[in-house]
Amino acid sequence: FWALENTTENHMFCKILNGVIKSVKKDGEWKVLIVDHMGMRILSSCCKMSDILAMGVTIVEDINKRRERICSLEAIYLIAPVQKSVRALINDFKDVGFTYKAAHIFFTEPCPDGLFTEIGRSRVAKVAKTLKEINIAFLPCESQVFSLDDPTSLYSFYSSKPNEEKDKMIENLAEQIATVCDTLKEYPAVRYRKGPEENARLADEVYRRLTAHKADNPSMGEGPDKARTQLLIVDRGFDPISPILHELTFQAMAYDLLDIKQDIYMYQTTGIGDSKEREVLLNEDDDLWVQLRHMHIADVTKKVTELLRTFCESKRMCTDNANIKDLSQMLKKMPQYQKDLSMYSTHLHLAEACMKKFKASLDKLCEVEQDLVIGATPDGEPLKDAMKSIVPVLLNNELEPYDKIRIILLYIFHKKKGITEENLAKLIQHANIQADSNIITNLENLGCNIIAGGSNAGKTLPERKERTGSTYDLSRWTPIIKDVMENVIDDKLDKRQWPFISDPAPINTTQTAVSARFGHWHKNKSPPEYRTGPRLIIFVIGGVAHSEMRSAYEVTQATDGKWEVLIGSSHILTPTSFLNDLKSLDQCIKNVSL
Amino acid sequence: MRDRLSHLQEMSNGHVEPMEDAESTVSDTFSNVDLEEELPHEAVVFDDNSPALEEVFSQSQDIHREIQLIRLEVKRLREQNSRMLQGTTTMSTIKRDSNAIGADIKKRAEDVLARLHDMDGTSHKLEETHGSNSAVTRIARTQYACLSNGFRDAMFDYNEAEMSHRENCKAQIQRQMEIVGREVTGEEVEEMIEKGQWNIFNDNIVSEGKTARSALSQIEKRHQELVDLEARISGIHEIFLDIAMLVEEQGPMLTSIQSNVQKTDEGIQDALVKLGRAKRHDNNNPFKKMFCSCFPCFNS
Repeated sequence: FWALENTTENHMFCKILNGVIKSVKKDGEWKVLIVDHMGMRILSSCCKMSDILAMGVTIVEDINKRRERICSLEAIYLIAPVQKSVRALINDFKDVGFTYKAAHIFFTEPCPDGLFTEIGRSRVAKVAKTLKEINIAFLPCESQVFSLDDPTSLYSFYSSKPNEEKDKMIENLAEQIATVCDTLKEYPAVRYRKGPEENARLADEVYRRLTAHKADNPSMGEGPDKARTQLLIVDRGFDPISPILHELTFQAMAYDLLDIKQDIYMYQTTGIGDSKEREVLLNEDDDLWVQLRHMHIADVTKKVTELLRTFCESKRMCTDNANIKDLSQMLKKMPQYQKDLSMYSTHLHLAEACMKKFKASLDKLCEVEQDLVIGATPDGEPLKDAMKSIVPVLLNNELEPYDKIRIILLYIFHKKKGITEENLAKLIQHANIQADSNIITNLENLGCNIIAGGSNAGKTLPERKERTGSTYDLSRWTPIIKDVMENVIDDKLDKRQWPFISDPAPINTTQTAVSARFGHWHKNKSPPEYRTGPRLIIFVIGGVAHSEMRSAYEVTQATDGKWEVLIGSSHILTPTSFLNDLKSLDQCIKNVSL
Repeated sequence: MRDRLSHLQEMSNGHVEPMEDAESTVSDTFSNVDLEEELPHEAVVFDDNSPALEEVFSQSQDIHREIQLIRLEVKRLREQNSRMLQGTTTMSTIKRDSNAIGADIKKRAEDVLARLHDMDGTSHKLEETHGSNSAVTRIARTQYACLSNGFRDAMFDYNEAEMSHRENCKAQIQRQMEIVGREVTGEEVEEMIEKGQWNIFNDNIVSEGKTARSALSQIEKRHQELVDLEARISGIHEIFLDIAMLVEEQGPMLTSIQSNVQKTDEGIQDALVKLGRAKRHDNNNPFKKMFCSCFPCFNS
């Protein structure tokens, strides 16, 4: 991604955090860093332990855990301005013997007056050497993807149970989205997909928060092209297909088929020592991952093997086959290439694991899925008898229940007008998925047409763009959001279906000096230019799918860097997590505060 | 980013908190110096990890300094290597310098490995004394992990410096070979290096004339550098192996912040304290006692 000369969100972000923590660094003095859940997630998403050690931090503590006193060290607090965290902060300095020598406090968002007063009246006020609001209340998962780290969001918005907290929740969400724009120094025109009430409400609230941020921070949105930046609010129900479909690009496939939690991939391998379990973080620090993550799986193994062979040749490592089994031999011969060899090993294992799962049961399934979502076979023949294609899948006892549910859902979406309750019951019976059948009906909460003539009758999925160009037969589907992205960039997005909250600002033709407030940071790479072109920021209510994330990069690339598309949501979905989220929609779940 | 320290201080000055005299002196004169004067009697009671902490920091500072010195040496080596290619000094002094630097790096590396081993020992002792989740143990382990990684990076960088010089030498040999009328491919140069065969002098080459003699002399020099370089790298193979092993044993995930924070659990001591508190305050609420460990969110 270094081909783009733009400052990506991730790096701007890292620069800020770097600046924040480093600003209180004193030579020869170590500090303790204390985080709450949000602070920890934000920090973890772009910094490693070695980074913060370089910033003078020697230990990271959880504010909610009972902590030892370390009176000789000062503490940095990176926390959300919420009651739980603030109380814990005050508690650290309540007794005569303070837990730490002093406090440097950084809030992720503006601190509400009530809590601020509480702090002001406590002893914290006497020991605080720093108190800043950094206005970063989101996670930069990737250079063009952000998350608000709230997996309960689908439930909050679409559960069948009444939610008294909904207004407050929307306000919080809006504030977080505003901090995304603030960090990017954008003041976008806000648009939303017309239809579901929540879209308009959220968009409205975001606009209000944005305006407040702009008042404090007038440089937001300044720049010759920035007036064209747009922020789109869209609901998950707009495209229920993309999060359910089996994707065959590396990242989407791996997260769907393998058990990858918190971006950590675990596998068995031998290194120099004996066989042990390795844990690897799949993120943008891994250059190879960035190269491979959007590639089709068929190309991945080929590419990695090719790269490994080139690598070995250039280092004069004699091997017959550059493959996984030889890697430990190579490592013993040339341990100084441990980092590179580990990287190749990881991705070879990952690709192999994906292919193994795929070959076991999924190849036929994917064929059926693609035919359903495209409505035609790879030859272009319209799909005549969809039921006939899906029945063998439903009767296949080797498939997981969730795979069957996915096929049923795709069948229903193929039917466009929904299906009768009778037919649905038959399908559920064939598939033997009675226990999970509410997943299907709960989709009605998202505005999807499931039961023919039901509450969502008349709602249809948008018309698709014709896409030519060669693709793999099992990867013909394009996420609907990609059409939207392209339309925005071409200025063709229908204003009636996607209204603006406020009129777009007039095009600013004066050359404004672009702020270079944050210095270039990344050690090994050439410093990226500060981005001057317009951005398209998309927020999906209820979760974003990997294929949609991929679309953001593809569309950006297609504009040759003129536009940068960012996409984000409350959380990133896998098909399994999406179905789990859906399952809970008609149940009572106590709100777990983090 | 908004700085609100002054707001806070205004608010705090305007607010008079009912405090006992002892505390008010502390808050009025709060400064680093005062607190340190306060500490001695406190330290005996609460802060018994201070000397251990000091030792950890001192150990890690020493190792950090040694690693920085290695980095400096690598930098010097790069400079030296590039000077050699430009032919700005006589061969004999250069040879000593590159090999001398290489030997220095090797010695320092062995020293750092030994120190890291000691630090590992310290961490284990701390773990036994203070428990694996105590602050000082975790600090020691974190320092150790990061120093190991930093050391690895510095040494692998040394390898890179040598390898890139190797490529430059090869390229120069090729160019000089052309000058004396014998064109060779990169592969052939590799073979010659590996087999130690420099038959060029016997083939049909131009060996007369100032240009030819100079070219041949360059080839000889580069050849010698390559031989020395190979010796340096193979001499340090064991050390590379040890370093890779060291890092491998720790596992790469130690660098993740998330796993560093989540590894901390409340110690048994703390759980007992909590139970004690619960008993004292919640005699009337059996549900709170039952659920306090399952639903921590309800406690606040």
